[in-house]
Amino acid sequence: QGNITWRMVTTWPKNFPGLGVGAQRLADRITAASGGRLTVQVYSAGELVPPLQSLDAVIDGTAEMSHGAAYYWQNKSPALSFFTGVPYGMTSRELTAWMRYMGGQEIWDEIYDQFGVQGFLSGDTGTQAGGWFKNELTGVDSVKGLRFRTPGLGGRVWEKLGATVTNMAAGEIFQALQSGTLDAAEFVGPYNDLALGFYQVCKNYYFPSFVEPGLATELVVDKKKYQALPDDLQAIIRDVSQAEYDQVASDFYANDPRALQTLVNDHGVNIRQFPEEILKTGATAAAEIMTSLRESDDPLVKKTAESFIDAFRIVRTRSKTTDGAYVTARETYFEI
Amino acid sequence: MEPVLIGELLAGLMFFGIIGFLLLGFPVAFTLAGVSLGFGAVGMFFGVFDPSNFGSLPNRYIGFMTNEVLVAVPLFIFMGVMLERSQIAEQLLLTMGKLFGNLRGGLGISVILVGAMLAASTGVVGATVVTMGLISLPAMLRAGYDPKLATGVICASGTLGQIIPPSTVLIFMGDMLSGINSQVQMAKGNFAPVPVSVGDLFAGALLPGLLLVGVYLAYVVFKAITDPESCPATPVPPEEKKYLLREFMVALVPPLLLILAVLGSILGGIATPTEAASVGAVGAMILAALRWRLSFSILHQTVVSTATITSMVFVILLGASVFSVVFRLMGGDNLVHEFLSNLPGGRIGAVAVVMAIMFLLGFILDTFEIIFIVIPITAPVLLALDVDPVWLGVLVGVNLQTSFLTPPFGFALFYLRGVAPADLPTSAIYKGILPFVLLQIVAIAILFAFPGIVTWLPRLIAG
Amino acid sequence: MRFLSGTAALISRMNWLIGQIFSWLSLGIVLVCFVVVVLRYLFATSFVWLQDLYIWLNGAMFTAVAGFALLKDDHVRVDIFYRPARIRTRALVDLVGVVFFLLPFTWIVYAYSLPFVLRSWSYFEGSANVGGMAGLYILKSFIIAFAVLLALQGIAMLCRSILVLGGRVDLVPPSMAYPVKPADAAAEAIEGVH
Ligand code: NA
Ligand code: NA
Repeated sequence: QGNITWRMVTTWPKNFPGLGVGAQRLADRITAASGGRLTVQVYSAGELVPPLQSLDAVIDGTAEMSHGAAYYWQNKSPALSFFTGVPYGMTSRELTAWMRYMGGQEIWDEIYDQFGVQGFLSGDTGTQAGGWFKNELTGVDSVKGLRFRTPGLGGRVWEKLGATVTNMAAGEIFQALQSGTLDAAEFVGPYNDLALGFYQVCKNYYFPSFVEPGLATELVVDKKKYQALPDDLQAIIRDVSQAEYDQVASDFYANDPRALQTLVNDHGVNIRQFPEEILKTGATAAAEIMTSLRESDDPLVKKTAESFIDAFRIVRTRSKTTDGAYVTARETYFEI
Repeated sequence: MEPVLIGELLAGLMFFGIIGFLLLGFPVAFTLAGVSLGFGAVGMFFGVFDPSNFGSLPNRYIGFMTNEVLVAVPLFIFMGVMLERSQIAEQLLLTMGKLFGNLRGGLGISVILVGAMLAASTGVVGATVVTMGLISLPAMLRAGYDPKLATGVICASGTLGQIIPPSTVLIFMGDMLSGINSQVQMAKGNFAPVPVSVGDLFAGALLPGLLLVGVYLAYVVFKAITDPESCPATPVPPEEKKYLLREFMVALVPPLLLILAVLGSILGGIATPTEAASVGAVGAMILAALRWRLSFSILHQTVVSTATITSMVFVILLGASVFSVVFRLMGGDNLVHEFLSNLPGGRIGAVAVVMAIMFLLGFILDTFEIIFIVIPITAPVLLALDVDPVWLGVLVGVNLQTSFLTPPFGFALFYLRGVAPADLPTSAIYKGILPFVLLQIVAIAILFAFPGIVTWLPRLIAG
Repeated sequence: MRFLSGTAALISRMNWLIGQIFSWLSLGIVLVCFVVVVLRYLFATSFVWLQDLYIWLNGAMFTAVAGFALLKDDHVRVDIFYRPARIRTRALVDLVGVVFFLLPFTWIVYAYSLPFVLRSWSYFEGSANVGGMAGLYILKSFIIAFAVLLALQGIAMLCRSILVLGGRVDLVPPSMAYPVKPADAAAEAIEGVH
């Protein structure tokens, strides 16, 4: 069998910090690890298809792979939000625990089977920032009528808090903030947000994103073509994805805090925590949304939500008693 | 031969092949798509094109069908058609003609001013030329105008709608350039590029549009001084002058308010072009209603015109997508990149060459085809060379305005021919437009030398 | 020959009707977008589905009306040679164009869109925006409608070309008759384009 070339479409701009870079690196690693037997050619957002048509491109055979986030396809199945991250849901570590050891991947496979594709987690941003706001938030009242860019289920939470929610692509947000079309926006976190220049328009940077506690990206491959590959190439795709999940997270963990320093020291950004009322009302809204998904008429949505919630109830205990308690203790007592 | 070279060769041949086949006269959108498919098939034969790439077509199409920015196109067309049906242009031309009639060249000046005003309220070129051709051309000919000057002024002023915002061409250009700009800048590691939007292009095109108005006016004044025979005055009987000012205000004020509301809210950053366009469209219906011109029949004509014009433009975009897919995936991008990056004169040389190619294409094609073919394949290279996207977009807009004017295939000429008196020779129209094409080139040169005319206003608005 | 004439007339009639109906979507775009603006600026509120709606109306309109526009000959031609040509020459150009350009194009669009659209139906795909419109599968189906309506009108043009080349200009349905003089072509074009 000769060398083959696969096309990877991505939802990210070329060279975009963390995510776009991660997609390119993942492609390069597959090419290198296979000794060129499987060469992956990357097409960034819009080059081959519009960014939000990436999954369709794989399903239709226009590309063999897509790099994006599962929650972009929530209109194909609302269950897909769970594999990226849901409001007040799992952190990145918790998510991989569910995916790898508590049945998550199997359900995901079942959903993507309908479309003839296979998904692998391929990157992770860690807990995101809550967003950029032109005015300071005082409580839920200050959210009413706020024009806020935030996608996915997180958007639905903010809608319930009273915001007017829209979604727009990365490249359009700055302009909208500047022209006043938006009063607030969230994208990812300091590393990406610094690059997108939001600090020039908004000075209030809120933390943490309770609606995006972790954002996992996915690599989707054409299932038939994947299964037709020799075992070693299959293993390379699978393992490089797993390695990239970790690699991208490291990138964000190293560069988010550096970018945040720049934002504060060089650009005079104010770091703020959400008022308690917003966190609390947001939690109620998130619980309502999760409950409604668990009571969905669609058996796969119901099954996903149930599996997620069951796993969540278990993994959160470790996070609370161990990780959370440790971080609290460290930040309270330890100075160096 | 290397497959890469075969692909690039085919891509290059395809570009010229399409131009050749277009001359047959079959609708452009389908010729573009059909010829590209043919070259794609040849590419398949040589193993340099994979037909599964056509799977990206439905994805692209649904992208256009759900594009928020591009909805401004039918909205502005609706506004333009509705204003045209409410006969605001007629009224303006008649009263403005009387107002300036006593001056030598006065009718010409009134045509330019009305053209500019209609341009600022819509982007519908054909309707403006037709209206002016029906009302002002006979008036000017009766007054003893040189037919060449009369037809030239009408054609040129009628096409101002393309460059003076709002403009459908600038909407498409804004949508394309904003995507290309962010891709190019991010590829270069600049993740906070100064964004480009339709609003920026509108702001950037305002002064150049006024510059053109100024240049046309200067030309008519020049003719009035050096060649008084070509544009005699048309004295207005005193009894007609009595209520002239009031008549003029009635004709002028309502559309002026609409223009200020629509353009002001876009340029002021209060509303997006799409939002402002819907207000403009509703405003145009209100103006029509105030003139008792909002009947079912007029509404029916308006929706049919709006829908078919919109469809015509978008279908070219759909056909051009086939060209883009085949051209790009056979390696045409590399070809263009190598060609434009290695020109003497660097960035300026590259822009000049692209402008020259577009100008030449303008002789046979019209604006939309040219931008849908040329912008996607050249703008990425030009923007990567640090060409200012707003400047580029406006320059292209002014450049392609001439495509309406250049014989043999200039829409404005074609429209005017359709409504001009039969005894007016077509050659008069062709000769008449030449000075204006030259003025247009002068304007492009001015914008080339002083890019600030384009970039100053958008930067001022952005703060 | 009569069969060709009847077919062309039937297709044209259908595209005419579809064009008349779907043209009204342009008024829909205006009104829905205006409502969105009023809600946003006067009442500080908005609905994502309403924002989707007027955008989708445009997508549905320009695809559905494409065949009608072809019937009206509103699609731009480079007619340096075409316009002044004899009717028989124009018929020949149209014949070649339909067979080699239009039909392959509509076939490719149809063939590559069909699985894409069917899939969308299989899970009743809605808007990609949370809280957006339901029924994206209906909008996607307009791509198929676009291809089919254009192809049908192309077939009508083919019938016309054969009638003209076969010497039976008299059988060409009036709605798609070739303008006899160039001046008529100009007058007709003014009705539509730009
Ligand atoms: Na985010
Ligand atoms: Na205009």
